[in-house]
Amino acid sequence: MKFSGKTLAAVIAAAMIVSTFSACGSSGSGSSTTTTAAQAETTTTTAAAAESTEFVTTEGAETAAASDGDRIIAAAQAGKVGNWGLGNEYEILALLTKYGQENRFLSQAFDMDGFDDDSITLASAMTYNELGLVQNSYEGGYGYGDSVGIIDMNNEGVAMLEDNLFCTKAFAEANPNTVKAFISASMKGWKYACENPEEAAQIVFEAGSSVSSDHQAYMASEVKKLVETDTNGSTVTDYGKMDEAAMQQTLDLAKQYISLDDSTAAEKLQALTLDDIRSTAYWTDAIAGSFDAPEKTDVSIQLKWLPQAQFMGYFVAKAKGYYDEVGLNVTIVSGGGDIGETTAVNNGTVDFGVTWVSNLISANAGGMDLLEIAQVYQRSGLVLVYKK
Amino acid sequence: MAAKVNKKRRSAVQSVVCPLIFGIALIAAWQTGLLHIVLNTDEYVLPYPTRIITIIGENSDKIMTNVWASVQVAVLGLIFGSLLGYLIAIFATVFPKYGSGGLTIVSAFNAIPIVALAPVIINWTKDVSSEAEVRSAVAKVIVVTVVSMASMSVNAYRGLTELPPFSDDLMKTYAAGRLTEFVKLRLPNSVPYIFTALRVSVPGSVISALVSEYFAEYITGVGRQIRENILIAQYSTAWAYIVTACIIGIVMYAVLMVIEAIVLKKRR
Repeated sequence: MKFSGKTLAAVIAAAMIVSTFSACGSSGSGSSTTTTAAQAETTTTTAAAAESTEFVTTEGAETAAASDGDRIIAAAQAGKVGNWGLGNEYEILALLTKYGQENRFLSQAFDMDGFDDDSITLASAMTYNELGLVQNSYEGGYGYGDSVGIIDMNNEGVAMLEDNLFCTKAFAEANPNTVKAFISASMKGWKYACENPEEAAQIVFEAGSSVSSDHQAYMASEVKKLVETDTNGSTVTDYGKMDEAAMQQTLDLAKQYISLDDSTAAEKLQALTLDDIRSTAYWTDAIAGSFDAPEKTDVSIQLKWLPQAQFMGYFVAKAKGYYDEVGLNVTIVSGGGDIGETTAVNNGTVDFGVTWVSNLISANAGGMDLLEIAQVYQRSGLVLVYKK
Repeated sequence: MAAKVNKKRRSAVQSVVCPLIFGIALIAAWQTGLLHIVLNTDEYVLPYPTRIITIIGENSDKIMTNVWASVQVAVLGLIFGSLLGYLIAIFATVFPKYGSGGLTIVSAFNAIPIVALAPVIINWTKDVSSEAEVRSAVAKVIVVTVVSMASMSVNAYRGLTELPPFSDDLMKTYAAGRLTEFVKLRLPNSVPYIFTALRVSVPGSVISALVSEYFAEYITGVGRQIRENILIAQYSTAWAYIVTACIIGIVMYAVLMVIEAIVLKKRR
């Protein structure tokens, strides 16, 4: 009986191999035509690519910048640029366009195995998360250390702002003091977290962390940089402020690179202005401390991802009692996988949410009425990582 | 005679008119917003049918590209899986000693959730080709193959072994060899069972093709478009692809029904 199982397994395996090869043959012949088409296109785009490389060098950037351009072009031509897609890809599309490349990328899984096994040579990574896993050798890390280099979206001029704080317009209008109190306590939490990143990392870890405490500490130190530095590299002291120029750049790039099949939504996207997606009034009052008792005291916030130091400000504000001080009872709802934070806030499941500005823009284009009330991350945390 | 016709007519009414009325009522409730009240949702998450159809009309080219990618995977996987399943059933019939154990293993494959199987196979097939489009297609086809293999092998095995009473004895009295018995008795006997298997694996192949697209490296297909659009909160577009996915499933099932009617009619 044991023998029978083995024989059968062998038969199945053999049959699978046969089927694999035959599948190869059939789909291979189909795609060979597309390859030639792509090659033809390649020759035309190389000229454009050469131009844009020149553009970088003439701009006075160092030779390193020029070789970054070469790297992007080489990886794009080989079809080995990776990104998660699902609304995280717009900065990469903008970068590819900048270097005259086709807007194509590989779908990257939520681990860095594709980068590790070279199926992706230029992989997307958040400075505070995947980059740490690639470089560090703690639990879950790949231990590449200094043998990897990065291409920073901020330096490339294609940065789009990421983690913000938002709610629906209707909620903000009905509960202005709740919104202001929530911003005030949250930003106090962010300030404390950035001043004490190690303690913040520990607080997050105890609050139900998804990753190891070492990685949590790394993440806290990197998130601090994103919260306290703007896209130009200048220091930001006003936690959560909405930088007009960076917001406008995000909106402009969003209009260029978010492609929507729904024509109604696509038209609405092009018509959006900053006033349709954010209001600075609540943040200004919150920082000045001018608000009354909150209208709604039990509120919840939906995170964009699993509990980790990416959101340390909220965990610190809760642990340190900052929310209690302003009379709020806050529930932190963790995200992850395919949870849509914009949908959760829009349908009232939660009151506040953390999302990327680009995701809020596409949600509003699709008909939601969401309002950004604070911008926590002042620069893009997205980089492309490569093996040196 | 009259009673028989009457009965036939009544069953036609039951099988065609009732679902039709129900369908029209459902769409009417959906379009008028009644469905939204019943389901406690808004026209944002559940857009009106007219809006969905408009989007399908406006993006027919892009949708067809994605449909073609998904259908190719589903059909190829279905063919490979069914052939493999049938071969396994033959093996199990010829070597009954080993066969039953083998069938158990194959049916165990059926219990693996596609969401678990797809990422594993996608990682496993990374060396198949340097072209992401090709290796993603191969990975997806293998997922569908595994899923469609199980139902075919189990059903075909039944068709090959559960013979009409005494037919086996009759063959023996004719002094038929094992091969003759197999070709003249067992193979024809298994044909209706093949269709029983396909009735399960045709919808299964569409579902597994769509789900495996979620994890594939190369971004294409109706399933992937559903996920992309839901995540960037484009529910109307996502619904356009959901409706498209339903149409793929229904059309493939209808094609199967037609083939089944033709093949089984000839036998009678």
